[in-house]
This record gives sequence, structure tokens and C-alpha cells, in this order.
Amino acid sequence: MKPPDHALRIDEARCTGCVECTKACPAKAIRVRNNVARILPERCIDCGECYRVCPQRAIVPVTTTYTDLSAFKYKVVLPSPALYSQFGPNTLPENVLHALLSLGFDLAYDKAYACEMVFREVKDYIEENYSGEPFISPVCPAVTRLVQLMFPDLTELILPFRPPREAAAKAIKGDVSRRLNIPAEEIGVIHITPCLAKLAAMINPPTGERPYLDGAVGISEVYGQLLTALKQTSKEADSELLHRSSGIGIGFGRVGGEVADLGFEESLAVSGVMDTISILRDVERRKQRHIKYLECQICPGGCIGGPLTVQNRYVASDTISKFVKLFGSKPKVEDMMKSGEDERTHFRLSKSILPAAIPPLDTDTSFAIGKMRLREEIFRKLPGKNCAACGAPDCLTLADDIVRGLAKIEDCVFIRADRGSGQMQAVKASKRR
Amino acid sequence: MNDEVVFSQEFEVEGGDYVTGGESSCRILEILKELAFPPAIVRRAGIAAYEAEMNIVMYAEQGQINLTVTPDRIVIVAEDRGPGIEDIDLAMQEGYSTATDEIREMGFGAGMGLPNIKKNSDDMELSSTVGEGTRVQIVIRANHEGTSSEAA
Repeated sequence: MKPPDHALRIDEARCTGCVECTKACPAKAIRVRNNVARILPERCIDCGECYRVCPQRAIVPVTTTYTDLSAFKYKVVLPSPALYSQFGPNTLPENVLHALLSLGFDLAYDKAYACEMVFREVKDYIEENYSGEPFISPVCPAVTRLVQLMFPDLTELILPFRPPREAAAKAIKGDVSRRLNIPAEEIGVIHITPCLAKLAAMINPPTGERPYLDGAVGISEVYGQLLTALKQTSKEADSELLHRSSGIGIGFGRVGGEVADLGFEESLAVSGVMDTISILRDVERRKQRHIKYLECQICPGGCIGGPLTVQNRYVASDTISKFVKLFGSKPKVEDMMKSGEDERTHFRLSKSILPAAIPPLDTDTSFAIGKMRLREEIFRKLPGKNCAACGAPDCLTLADDIVRGLAKIEDCVFIRADRGSGQMQAVKASKRR
Repeated sequence: MNDEVVFSQEFEVEGGDYVTGGESSCRILEILKELAFPPAIVRRAGIAAYEAEMNIVMYAEQGQINLTVTPDRIVIVAEDRGPGIEDIDLAMQEGYSTATDEIREMGFGAGMGLPNIKKNSDDMELSSTVGEGTRVQIVIRANHEGTSSEAA
């Protein structure tokens, strides 16, 4: 089986083989070998923590380029609501959408509005299908992947809906191709993304289905151009209205936006990798059993805290608060959508999301048990310093790699230094205290 | 048939320790995932182990949870030194609880613990001596075909 691809690559010329990324990775998906960091694709959840910490800027997002874009006859830009929060409260979503349009797109679509559309259906679905287990939000793709990998037993709790960006891309393609008589494959929908995970979910979709989005560009990559465009486009304000959402849709740019839209008392919004893992552990053991809907965002603060954003996330959150006040907290979509049977299932996933668990020690339980015992033995021989000098993030992971045949005990610098010197005894003695 | 291959680990659980209480069941979940048990089996074992662990934290002075895994079954034994259970039939009823108000305020003590263990295990044995302690043995059979959610 071909390992899944990701939205990051290591610039080997820049990488010095320091272990900052290895230690920061919550999925323990990075190893340093021969002084270069390597990502283990079957373990990476695309959270971007490594990208944030790399002191050499050697971790590079693999986003869409203008050359990729030129392949499409009709180009649509679909910005994350987090983009609206990047320019302060005086730059309105309408201005941002027009500035985007001026960068060479044929249509700028307000994704915040799509969030409202999808979540109107989500609300009905939850009310009809809740049976004592929380539904996990399908919006943050890094959370979906985290569940598939680290909580395979919770995969079935992920709400079976397309995330709003995919639902919007699907709807746009249908609409544009009908209205303008352009074949769907000549329409390119490009997401302006706050993170790498949205791009990774296009390269390697959780259901294996071909995505409707055709590309993604980071907010930080277009920020400069947008600033320039904003100065030029703000004067012609009498053009077509592009911004359609209320404050609710814009609120999807930060943690709590989904929960605010649903309005259930029994829902919870959590952000950040560690807090997400912690709440999922609770759900796994049926602690917190009152929750109907669990919104998890891998980035602290939600999408406004994404690794490809520019603005300070507290400032961005404040801007969103101002927009919520300005545009109201009643979803505008309610009086604009007819709910025919087609539309009720339009945003549902047609295939289910399956577990993609990290490969077990062995597929045969007897052998796996043997290897787990062996790993314990190896671990006891290691110094327990978790220094990561071997290239694995900690001693237990090195022991695991050794059992899996991916490393050897001599990779440990303490073991190598110990040859005959007896220094290990001293290290082990200090470990016991 | 494969019962000679055994993995076994014991976890100490302190009564009244809500800070580390719950860690043993987390470790048990990790171990079972690494041993390639199907997701549905892992989930049931995790829920049962957590309830057994929290019963020690909430009611007992001190206890141990022992996990024994063979390729065919998962056995979790939770044993504690504590007040014991006076009426086991009553304790097994949904909604019955002797939890204090403090425990209930923390979201525990809903009287679902023991019934939940029963619901999630293939075999459950509960024995208790008042004034001495309680022992719960949970068996979950690892039918690798059947209940897997992957197959669904």
C-alpha cells in the first residue's frame, strides 16, 4: 500500500538535524536520520506543530502555485473565515472578498456562508440521530486524522458530513457549470487556508474519495498581495455583493463557532492538540457522557491560530467578535434555503471515514505480545533521558523503533559512550531517584 | 488455544486521587491498540477498565488493576482495600449509587459504573466483603472477526 502523502516537506539543505520538530510532534511522527528530519507519513496528522517550531525554516508547506491554477478555465477562490480576521475590524469581509477577486479569480465565494448552510443540516441530523455518544466535528481535518490514527475506536463518531469547504466546492462547481455552461473539470476551486491540514486532506482525503477542492494557498502566502489589493479596491464599493454570511458563519474562524451555530446546551468546543487528545481520551472511556456535539480544533484558538495565519490570534479573535456583533448572530441562510430532499443529503459524506490506526507491533496478537515484552526489556536498558539525540523523540519511541526494525540500540548516544566505561550505571542510578 | 502467550501488567490506583485517577485505563487502551485488537473490543475494554478504576478512586483506600492479555481474551481484575459493597444486587442496578455530593458534583456517581462494566464485558464477576474490599473480574473475548467496526 502506498503511504499517504502530506502537505509538508523537509528542505534538506536547510535542515541541521536538530530535534526541535521531533520533540514537538504530538504524533511522534518525525525521526532524525543522518542529520536530516524525516516525516513518517503513516503517523503524521498534519497539525503543523513542526512547521511552527523549526528554527531553520526547513519545514516547507506544499501549497498550490499559480502555475497549478492556470490549468483551470474558471477560477474560484474560497477563503477560510479566518482570513476575515487578519486585517482588523475596519476591513470588512466584503472588502477582503473583492481584494481576493482582484488577484485574478473569476469568483470569490464567502465560505462563512457555506458553514451556515452545512450546519443547518448538521443540527437536524444530530437531533434525529443522537444516541448517547457525542458526535465529533468533521470540520478540522487534522482532528479527523488524529481520530483515525490514535482513536480508531472513535472513528464512527465523526459526523458523516462533508466539511463546509468541500460542501461549498461541490455546490459551486454544480452551480457555475449549470449557469455558465462550463464543464465541472474546467472549474478550479482554491481554498485560502490557515493551515496545512486542509491541503493534506485534499492530497489524502479521509474517505478516499476525490476532493472537490482543487488547491489551497496559505493565508501567509497571499497576505502581502491582499494588503496591496485592499488599498486599491476599497474605493469601488458599488460592485456586486459577495459577503453573504452573518456573524455566525464568520465565527467558524475561531473555536466555538460551530457550537454557537448549533446552539445546543450539551455541546463543547476544545482547541489545541493536547486538549483535543485529552477530551478524546475522555470520550473514549465514556467520561463526559452528556456531550451531544464535540467541536475540536487542532490549532489553539481554532483556525485563527493556524500555522499559516499572520495576525496575533487574540487580536484576530477580537476582530471576529466585532464582526459577530456587526453582522448579527442569526444565520442568514435560514430564509434563503429551501429544504427539498436532495438538499437534506447534499452535504452528507457518501463514503464513511474508516480507522487508519498506526500499524500495531504485529498484526498477529501473539507476536505483538512478544514484541511488547521485548520493547519493555529494551526500554529498561535505555537511559530514560528522552534527549532525542538518537533521532527518536524519546527512549520509549526508540525502543519501539528497535522492535519494529527501524532503529538499533547503538543509535543511543549513552549506549555508545558506555562501551566499557560503565557510565551507564551512573545514569541508571540517577534515573531511579 | 493460544493461552500460553501472555502479556500482564499491574497498575496501582490510589483512593481519592482524582489527579492520576484514570491513567491506568488510558494505558490499558494504549496497550490494547498496540496489540492490534479490533477498535470495538478496545473501546469496550477501555470503558470497563475506566469504570473499575474510578470505583477504586471514589470509594476505596487503595487498589490495583491487573491487565492480562492473551491472543484470545482480555482479563481486567480490579481489586481494592475499602468499605466493600453491602448489597451487590442493589449496586448492580442502574442509577443506584452511594456516592457523596462532592463526587456527584464532579460528574461521577451516577450509579452507572457497575452496570456499564457488565454491559461492556463478556463475563463479569463481582465479589466483596464489607469492611475489607471488593474484587471485580472483567473478561472480554477477543473475537477478531465479529464486532469490529472496521467490518461494518
